[in-house]
Amino acid sequence: MTKYLFLYWNPPAPDQQPSPEEMQQMMAQWSGWKEKFADKVADMGDGLQHDGRVLKNGQVTDGPYAEAKEIIGGFSIIQAASYEEALEVARECPITHMPEASIEIREMMGY
Amino acid sequence: MAWGSNGADIPVDDDDSSVAASGLVDHFFRHESGRLVAQLVRRFGADRLELIEDAVQSALLSALTSWGARGLPDNPSAWLTRVARNRLVDHLRRVGREAPEVDAGARVSAPAEGAFDDEIADDELRMLFVCCDPELPARAQLVLSLKLLCGFGTREIATRLFLSDDNVQKILSRGRARLRALWAERAGDWADPAPARLERRLPAVQAVIYLLFNEGYSSQREDQVIRRELCAEALRLGQLLVAHPIGDRSESWALLALMHFHHARIESRTDAEGHLLLLSEQDRGRWDREEIRRALAALARAQQGRFSRYLGEAAILAEHCVAPTFEQTRWSEIVDLYELLEQHCGPSPLYTLNRAIALAEWQGPEAGLTLLRTLTPPTWLARYYLWDATLGELLLRTGQLDPARRHLERALRAAPTRGERRIFERRLGECGPRATTTRGS
Repeated sequence: MTKYLFLYWNPPAPDQQPSPEEMQQMMAQWSGWKEKFADKVADMGDGLQHDGRVLKNGQVTDGPYAEAKEIIGGFSIIQAASYEEALEVARECPITHMPEASIEIREMMGY
Repeated sequence: MAWGSNGADIPVDDDDSSVAASGLVDHFFRHESGRLVAQLVRRFGADRLELIEDAVQSALLSALTSWGARGLPDNPSAWLTRVARNRLVDHLRRVGREAPEVDAGARVSAPAEGAFDDEIADDELRMLFVCCDPELPARAQLVLSLKLLCGFGTREIATRLFLSDDNVQKILSRGRARLRALWAERAGDWADPAPARLERRLPAVQAVIYLLFNEGYSSQREDQVIRRELCAEALRLGQLLVAHPIGDRSESWALLALMHFHHARIESRTDAEGHLLLLSEQDRGRWDREEIRRALAALARAQQGRFSRYLGEAAILAEHCVAPTFEQTRWSEIVDLYELLEQHCGPSPLYTLNRAIALAEWQGPEAGLTLLRTLTPPTWLARYYLWDATLGELLLRTGQLDPARRHLERALRAAPTRGERRIFERRLGECGPRATTTRGS
């Protein structure tokens, strides 16, 4: 089994926050997804705050996110036999319900 | 922010499987949002409303991520209370100049729950009075209540009130700003407003509760004629209101009676397939006796006071609810009550329309039609589908099939719900084929 990193890309400043009712729906979708692919979801991962710090050449800046069109909003780790199998899991990921979001799928080196 | 922090157009299933999937009761997040905002406003001050809303939103988003990944905590409510409060305290600390009164040991680890049930109820009632500030337009009061107290999102409010998202946003931000200014003027007086001030707000509070109930009872949404949870919420607020000395007034009791009477019949308004039924077709055996009993008790309390719109309307519903059959309804009493309402509240074409319907049952369809002919309907009423529906129905009963068909067809075109369209389709069927029709039977 190979591990794949799912990176969830979102627009940085959603026009509107989800409502409580929508959040409950999303939670149900995530739990449903996790349950359905229990043997494939190695780590549900986490969500990420929109702000951050960048360290480059000894210089620290605030996250470049104000200008970015998309930022990483969260991640999960999936184990699957192939990209095809990982994509099967991704296709049903609740993130796909958000028209502006995308999932980047990267095979992990397994060092 | 969580994975799902972008709220764009999440499809929300109405017949959701969320309970099974998430282990939470329906609308848990929405109700918790209202409860938390009300509670934090009381503890930390309404002048921090926006910070409080942010803290609550942030706590809910954390729950979405954390519970989705790791399952529910033992007590989700206590979890949210703790996180929301900690977010708020952290923010106030960061801002620095604020020294919240909860500073020592502010990061509550295990709030007692259950013990505060009454307190929470009071928080919410207080919040309702805060939202119903008479300095705000009525619409702003309703929008703020739906947002702060009922936990609806901007889009959800827009859908329910037929407003644009932008409009709701504007109403909310203006409403918050206005409230903030008013609180500043009154120098914290808001927290324990003088009884006289609360008294003045009572009609607005009642109106908001009634609007909320109607929103649930006669929702315009397709395939969801009855949105029970909104009704249940309005009933809950109505009960809170009469239980409090400030709200313990004839009008509040009448409002509560009115809602219980409607609620008693909520199950019988639709048939097994979920199609809307007329009052005359409803199975009275399915009316909730317990709800009618509660309604009658509330009505009795209300009748100790003066006549009001709510009292008149509740008394009419009482006549319907105690009549053993549709035919045995005391239509003459209902006609009198509508007349009383017209005298009390001023002429209202809607009351006249309803009086005509009752009169038609009492003295025959001709009598109803005669009354309607004395009425020149204002444009909005002439375009209202129930105007055509009533005319169509009465004309059908007097055997004037062609004009009946015309009105029923107009009613059918304008009917907002499938349930109502079905009723008009059935009635049209009874009109028989069009006289000029040559095709078919």
